[in-house]
Amino acid sequence: MLGDLRKAQEVFHTTLREAALRAAQGELPKEPFWLFRDARWRCLEASKTDLQPEPLELDEHDVAPEAALQIEQLEPTQLAVWISNAPDPQRAALALFYLDEFDCREILELAELKLSELSRLLAQGRRQLQAWLDAKHPEAHKV
Amino acid sequence: MKTLGLLRRQRALLNCAPISEDRLTDRSMRSAVSSAAASADFVNQQNFDRAVAELVRLIPIPPETAEWFSEKDLVVGSKWTWKKMVRNPAVLAISIAVAVIAGVSVFLLVSHLNDFPGSATARKLLTVAASTRPVMLDPVSTEAGTLSDLFFMKHGLEHYDVPDEFADFRTIGCRVFEDEESRRIAQIWLGEKRMQLFLFPAERNTKTGAVLRFPGWRYVHQEGWVGAVTERSGVCFMAALRGGEKDLQPYLSTAAGR
Repeated sequence: MLGDLRKAQEVFHTTLREAALRAAQGELPKEPFWLFRDARWRCLEASKTDLQPEPLELDEHDVAPEAALQIEQLEPTQLAVWISNAPDPQRAALALFYLDEFDCREILELAELKLSELSRLLAQGRRQLQAWLDAKHPEAHKV
Repeated sequence: MKTLGLLRRQRALLNCAPISEDRLTDRSMRSAVSSAAASADFVNQQNFDRAVAELVRLIPIPPETAEWFSEKDLVVGSKWTWKKMVRNPAVLAISIAVAVIAGVSVFLLVSHLNDFPGSATARKLLTVAASTRPVMLDPVSTEAGTLSDLFFMKHGLEHYDVPDEFADFRTIGCRVFEDEESRRIAQIWLGEKRMQLFLFPAERNTKTGAVLRFPGWRYVHQEGWVGAVTERSGVCFMAALRGGEKDLQPYLSTAAGR
């Protein structure tokens, strides 16, 4: 969500500290996933002060059969930075989806999205990532 | 139009198809995935998603944060100990309530174990005994056993006989009175240990009118007094004194010796 280890750590600790305080005061919300939603908002808040990329139309390519090979050539941090640069709510949708910890309904609840919105954001994210991969590793695309 | 809507929803579901099969919990999602399983586009998408998810798992986590997940329990839940459970106000309140209920039940059970036909009347008469003063009785100095004739001749009370165990004791006074249920009760005061004797009608079956009999002597207790009750010929006899059963015991055992 942040593409910055230090900030991620800060958000993580603040979220847990707040949760511990609320637990001590017996004020924990009953709704599920409140902790994740809280963490998401803190991430968005923390990245507000960052330099924002200029809004521009990213290239989009259809997902290619060799995409898996192209992804293997990426560094994990490169992917983290790429996802963290996506505008919200696409950033939250991609981060929550690729964490592979939640099912579709849970992601909809967490990211406060409708199915059609999540679907559009994920599909667009895949096509944009594929275009970026094609630009970054064109040789793999040609194979 | 409806088909188009359905297709659009199915497309939307497929775009959100989970990476791991164990997240395939929703029925409509399962149906959409199974119908598109053979499609090349969907296979590409799934391979793409799996590759991205694998890379996401490799994103480094700061060691300070990773420490939180290395422990078995992120938050150590407070263990329930017996001490804690007992101190819980709800548990404490319930325990006290149960203890009181159990105590009352045991008390009632024990007191009912000693119950016999006429025991309620006998207890009331022990209260009478406790509050009786000698001046309230007609002074009569004779042997207790001889008062049966007096009760029959003067008051028309049949079978109001003092048992042999107490027949030889000297009396101080006696009287006949009616209780709140208009039953006629004979009361005798003895010189022996300021003991009082009572004769009253035995309880009867409300339907048949038959006397409810019970064998031997039975004890009743009330306000520091003890009474030994027996039933003969439809009349109950009670010897009462202030004290415990051991104080009455020697008088009753004389019957066995005779």
